[in-house]
Amino acid sequence: MQFDGDLLTIGLDMSMEEIRAFEQFVRPRLEYLETIEIEEGTHLRSSALLALLVSLKRTRPELKIPFLHQGVTTSSAYGTLHWMCHD
Amino acid sequence: MTKQEQVKAIFIEEAGEIIEKLDIDILRFEENSSDFDLLNEIFRGVHTLKGNANAFGFTRLGEFVHHFEDVLDHYRSTKEDVEEHHLELFVGSVDIIKEVMTCELDVLPELPDGYAECLEKIKVLIASKKNIPILVVVETSGEPLHDLASEFGFSCLEQIEAGVAKSIHSHQALQEEGMNLYRIDLTLESDSYKRGFDHILFLNLLGEKAKSLESFFDMENVKTLDQFAGDENAIKRVCAILLTPQTQEEIAENFEFLCDHEYAIMVVEPAITPIVEDIPVILVEKTQKLEKGVSKAPSESTTASKSTIRIDTLKLDELFDSVGELVIAQNFIAQNEEIRSIEDESICRAIETLSKITKKIQDRVMSLRMVAIRDTFDKMKRVVRDTSKKTGKEVHLVVQGEETEIDKTMIDSLSDPLIHIIRNAIDHGLESDSAERIRLGKSAEGTVTLRAFHKSGSIVISVSDDGRGINKEKVLQKAIERGVITGDENLTDSQIFGLIMQPGFSTADTISDLSGRGVGLDVVKTSIEKLRGKIEIDSKEGEGTTLSMILPLTLAIIDGMLVQSAGEIYIIPTLSVVESFRPEREIVHALKGQGEFVSMRGQHIPVVRLSDVFELSSQRIAPWEGILVCVETEEGRIAIMVDELIGRQQVVIKPLGKSLARLKEITGGAILGSGDIALILNVDELRPLSEASHV
Repeated sequence: MQFDGDLLTIGLDMSMEEIRAFEQFVRPRLEYLETIEIEEGTHLRSSALLALLVSLKRTRPELKIPFLHQGVTTSSAYGTLHWMCHD
Repeated sequence: MTKQEQVKAIFIEEAGEIIEKLDIDILRFEENSSDFDLLNEIFRGVHTLKGNANAFGFTRLGEFVHHFEDVLDHYRSTKEDVEEHHLELFVGSVDIIKEVMTCELDVLPELPDGYAECLEKIKVLIASKKNIPILVVVETSGEPLHDLASEFGFSCLEQIEAGVAKSIHSHQALQEEGMNLYRIDLTLESDSYKRGFDHILFLNLLGEKAKSLESFFDMENVKTLDQFAGDENAIKRVCAILLTPQTQEEIAENFEFLCDHEYAIMVVEPAITPIVEDIPVILVEKTQKLEKGVSKAPSESTTASKSTIRIDTLKLDELFDSVGELVIAQNFIAQNEEIRSIEDESICRAIETLSKITKKIQDRVMSLRMVAIRDTFDKMKRVVRDTSKKTGKEVHLVVQGEETEIDKTMIDSLSDPLIHIIRNAIDHGLESDSAERIRLGKSAEGTVTLRAFHKSGSIVISVSDDGRGINKEKVLQKAIERGVITGDENLTDSQIFGLIMQPGFSTADTISDLSGRGVGLDVVKTSIEKLRGKIEIDSKEGEGTTLSMILPLTLAIIDGMLVQSAGEIYIIPTLSVVESFRPEREIVHALKGQGEFVSMRGQHIPVVRLSDVFELSSQRIAPWEGILVCVETEEGRIAIMVDELIGRQQVVIKPLGKSLARLKEITGGAILGSGDIALILNVDELRPLSEASHV
């Protein structure tokens, strides 16, 4: 995870503990964040991260999460994964 | 050895053979990547290897081979052209398989360096070529499904159903025989994370065996942060479309720890192909195509099915020994004076028939040990390819006489020497680059020729290059510098070239990781000598070098010259015999403290009396009264003095007992037709006595 001013870069391959830590980190800083970007080449380890990102976006709609906007991600392990947020 | 260990030993042997064949076939495929029969052959090998590896718990090998198999399967079923860089990946994958196999056998915890990278490349290739996970078959791939749907006010559920329907349709189009299509709905409880279950975990499990997997997450229930609890599952539903060879039961095993209401698996029936009226026409066309297909020339790799059994070589050796005894017994009957004196036509005919049958059995049993050298030569193609790439030299390999048969035991010991000689030929034999070759009026591409042929009852395997040739002056200079020779010797060309096989001898100006350290050719020489063979080098500066390994046909039988000394019979291996003669008195000399010599064509050859070597009591005769058999040894030529030459004969080598085994001058024994025992001489260990005492 890298925090550069208002840009936060995270890897998708977070374990549950790391997701909890990330949640704790981001909650108080949500107002200052502009963009959350995803490190290239990383793949989801838990659906909890996807849910957290959706929650962050719903909490602060102006927050840019380009990954979430794609609505799809792929991995050689879990194939093609779509999500429907209806936001 | 337990039954389990025996089975494992068989697996290891088989796996070794499969990998060896893969190594060869993959190169042949690289040469002709449109040979899909060969690709099928490679696929079958990889498939067998995968099954065996997994059965014996070699999971790392199993996993790698599993993905490699997927790639091969794709190309063989689609008959799609294999791109050049992917061919490179194939060759690299076989290398990794070899290395992983070693790791598995040695129970090494770490994997080979390139394992992860190569596996990733394979996965990416599968992903880009096939419809397994990363490949999105559906046309909606990469596009957010919700945009348009939400615009029209569809709910998440409706969006998901629309996506699922499209996914099913796309997957049905891909469904082949043996593949099943499923729809799996996951409705995990909110405490699922706490119970250790995660949607991604299940998708990963499903993805392991899947040909294609596409999933749709309903995120409608995910709340804003104030109501969000990270450790609780907020994802209402996930629907997955799975194309896999697995059965419904096998898939259900992934969810056995979930509550029944948390998952549902539904089989999606394959799409029905519409029946069209002009089917007969289509069938006629297909038949014609098939007929045309039949006339296609069979692939080089296609082999007729034949029935084979695997036999332990120890059993073959025992059989060979028994046949040896049979030959001896038959010879005894045939040569026995008393039996021969019986004037009965039927007995004579029976003995003759016995002799013929015995010879036939001997030939058949001999042939069991003989295998074509083709596989060993095929392996060398890889060596040439790799060395060519490493040195940056263009090399064309010419292979001749691949069908030449050689003793299986020898074949196993030939690979390493051959590899070394070929690397040496390319690295040092050939000119440094194409420009230099063109400047010298040669073709840009260097040629290395690998030949096997029969010559005077021996097998010759030669490696020739059309490169620089050996600079004799340079060799002599190095040999003098290293104290190998003094410089006063009058050496023949063959002896000068032979110097490069001395330990630590290298004329290479630079040392590469391929050759040039001088630790190779002497090892090659030793290996060949262990096989009772010898090496000859012929070279012409500017034209090239030929290194020939001259080997006996088999290790079990020796072609020998039978000689007699002090009433005892000895066998001298014919391979080392140069000539035999009764010397003129004038050419025999004795020097105080240096023994006896015979002068021949300007050379002084030391005389070795067998009666002295084996301390046989006999009347001492002068050399000109006996026979001298001139032989080539490691230390140069010697003349073995014997009383009589009996003849040349092929004999079955018998190991010696412990007491005789200590005699380094003898390599083995043989039972002659008469029933007499003859000792086989180790000519390299025969030394003349330091002082002549008779003259």
